[in-house]
Amino acid sequence: MTATTSIPSVEAASNPIPFITRDVRKLVLPNGLTVIVKEVHAKPVVATMIWYRVGSRNEELGQTGKSHFLEHMLFKGTDRYPKGAIDLTTQLNGGMNNAFTWLDFTAYYFSFAADRWQTALEIESSRMRDTTFAEDEFASEKQVVEEELRIGLDGPWEALENEVWATAFRQHPYHFPTVGWLEDLESATAADMKAYYDRWYHPRNATLVIVGDFDTRDALARVEDLFGSIPPGPVPKPLNIVEPPQRGEKRVIVKKETPVERLLIGYHAPAVGHPDSYAMRVAEVLFSTGKSSRLYQRLVDQDKSITSVNVSYHDHIDPSLFYFQAELKPGSELSKVELAIYDEIQRLKNADLTGAELAKAKRLIEADLVLSNEEPLQQAMLLGQYETIANDERIPEDSRGFRYLETMLDRINGVTVEEIASSAIKYFTEDNRTVGYLIEDPNTDPRNTGKEDDGGS
Amino acid sequence: MVVSRKAAAVRLAVERLVLPNGLVVLISENHSSPSMSISAIVRAGSRFESDDQAGLASLTAELIEEGTTTRTSRQLAETIDSAGGHLMTFGDYQSSRLAVVALSRDFDLGLELASDLLMNAVFPPDKVRQQIDRRIAQLKSRLDVPRTQASDLFNETVFKGSPQHRPPVGYEATVTELSRPAIHAFYQRYYVPNNTVLAIAGDVDAKETIARAESVLGEWLRSDFVAPSVAYPGLSGGPVEKYSTALKEQVNIFMGHVGIERKDPDYHSLLVMDTILGSSPGFTSRIPRVLRDEQGLAYSTYANITSSSGLDPGRFVAYIGTAPSNLERARDGLRGEIERIVEEGVTEEELEIAKSYLTGSFVLRFQRNGQVAEFMLEAEIYNLGFDYLEKYPELIRAVTVDDVNRVTRKHIHPERLTTVVVGPIDEAGHVIDKEGAS
Repeated sequence: MTATTSIPSVEAASNPIPFITRDVRKLVLPNGLTVIVKEVHAKPVVATMIWYRVGSRNEELGQTGKSHFLEHMLFKGTDRYPKGAIDLTTQLNGGMNNAFTWLDFTAYYFSFAADRWQTALEIESSRMRDTTFAEDEFASEKQVVEEELRIGLDGPWEALENEVWATAFRQHPYHFPTVGWLEDLESATAADMKAYYDRWYHPRNATLVIVGDFDTRDALARVEDLFGSIPPGPVPKPLNIVEPPQRGEKRVIVKKETPVERLLIGYHAPAVGHPDSYAMRVAEVLFSTGKSSRLYQRLVDQDKSITSVNVSYHDHIDPSLFYFQAELKPGSELSKVELAIYDEIQRLKNADLTGAELAKAKRLIEADLVLSNEEPLQQAMLLGQYETIANDERIPEDSRGFRYLETMLDRINGVTVEEIASSAIKYFTEDNRTVGYLIEDPNTDPRNTGKEDDGGS
Repeated sequence: MVVSRKAAAVRLAVERLVLPNGLVVLISENHSSPSMSISAIVRAGSRFESDDQAGLASLTAELIEEGTTTRTSRQLAETIDSAGGHLMTFGDYQSSRLAVVALSRDFDLGLELASDLLMNAVFPPDKVRQQIDRRIAQLKSRLDVPRTQASDLFNETVFKGSPQHRPPVGYEATVTELSRPAIHAFYQRYYVPNNTVLAIAGDVDAKETIARAESVLGEWLRSDFVAPSVAYPGLSGGPVEKYSTALKEQVNIFMGHVGIERKDPDYHSLLVMDTILGSSPGFTSRIPRVLRDEQGLAYSTYANITSSSGLDPGRFVAYIGTAPSNLERARDGLRGEIERIVEEGVTEEELEIAKSYLTGSFVLRFQRNGQVAEFMLEAEIYNLGFDYLEKYPELIRAVTVDDVNRVTRKHIHPERLTTVVVGPIDEAGHVIDKEGAS
């Protein structure tokens, strides 16, 4: 056995159609519903998803958290599926269901064995327009959502993230946390929710994705049957809110009952499909994917100043944040870790990057597309996500919608050292960043308050 | 009346071979994705640790990827990252684990890395020091999660006297004292072929894989290893209540007692009970339906006894996280549902729904290579047989209302519940007034 550190070559020249988009078909019904199907018979399972292009991005001051709350209400019943029936039907058929809401979208999913998967279509077609908003159901579900929000309030990372995003975006609704502000949630009414539903839940604002072991012709006929007669709904008004360029570094401090200090640095970064976004994606991987990544090597292995580091750059409809997170070891200093990260950023600006390291990052992205998408539901997630967020006309036509995934690897493989350096110089500037520190609040030490409280009562 | 659906059939072809050194190799081919998963389980975890060495097994497992006789930590990381794959090692209560997930074209590389870690780890002193320091910091940040705090306190109370009362990650005081010789000795003693099972699933050729495994792992030396005995946890005599202060938005409540072993003959009836009481998807089972859906008390609430069953008895546990003002309703609600299922039993309709779900959803659990590898390991460890997938629907279908009611009365003891509450409360369990706290 010999030690090998050779770097496998990336097959950039003959990039095959990615595994994920092979055999995908897309059509749009006359009422505007986008339908994406991918028939694969490898496993006797079908995943069905519906994506609505509405999330906290579409929310307004004083009304935050509505998209997410609405997601909860869609499980509470329709004319055809009374309270509890959606879950009961899912369970009886041995399926699973859930949903999630984020900045740009709200998505619902089901996985069923292949001989009963059309149950999912029946439920989704019913709750697209026929969800009932019973007052008492609304009241109890409001408490559930408030509990979900409290879990977030107890999480140190959530607290810091909310503060940094709210600081970095003063104008764009990425300012709001998706779950909403507690006070907004408390004042929400069933009528508000119904109005919001009537505004966004229509075929024209939705994408249905079906992946797995089914017959395409049968499936499309059933889709036509169940969704074809639903009116298209209003044309969603485009959102023209642009976050103005940041004119100087912003810094925030969050105090919390925690023994561990945390750091979050966010830079405004380009939207999905932007020509610079591919170089930024490679930079994300270079910084923190795997133990050989730059920040792991520098901060965990060499400086030994932190326990973990994570760098995230997610694709969103509008420009969002490219952000760095680090959890400090006791005795380390936030300011030193912050400077070390700037050091590593500077290396990228200086184009201090070998071809082998670049190839490694590209290979990680390519392999991840396969390794993270073995099951139909994972594939449906990816297809639906890009169909929903990569729809803007500024995105080249061959990369628009789910086709983003068809061209993504080619574009990633085309990224050069110079492009990474120039993107780093363009986006990772002092003026463009928001830095958040999470520190221990001595006033919330439970031993102090516990004693005081005992004394007072 | 509910009509349950016929189960979707699941079949899995598994090749099993035992090398002369005792290593068990399990292989299942699946060519639907150009990827594969290699998982190894070493049958030693924190259950073999002594109290003063808490954290030893998990630390050892994490350290096997920090250097071998021929590769430095950095080289190991570069090798797997350059293939675009992932390598994970960790230790839990009953086992130490290694997993390589990669494209199938990198199978040879993956197997070579896995073998290297299992056979040739060297535990460089600087890496040992670094990992211990890092673990101590992680132990602090772990307690930032109130649910984890509450779960730890619950285990500490319920499993008193058996190794399960400790978190597998150990404590600051014990981890600080761990040394390289102790870690190396744990590795020498337990990481031996006759204590290891290797499972490979995905886009591989079974025949070639066997040949590769024989050539790479055949030289691994067998040892005359004897598994230590493990203290058995006893049920507490009566109810126990524990309160711990954490100034958070929610109170986290764990309620329960010692559970069952995986080999318990009542396992499948209890699986049905779990599905009816507190572990169905969505909110159809009793606890989520009543406490979440009807009363709006929680986002997360559940109960089960089978999920933690293993070589040793797991825990019967009910959980809820709620606002401090709901503390009493939530606690009474959980206890009420536990008492009700023991006293009143379940209905024919609930039974049919649960069985229909369990049999129908089984197919969803084998979609990824990692899941298939996991099943093969479980089947091997618990002697389930690889035809368990075909037998499973029958085992579930055979369960009757009487079975569920009988096993519920036998295994669930409302009069012996331990209740642990962590949140903004004082030592007597009273909610601390937020305004009063400065």
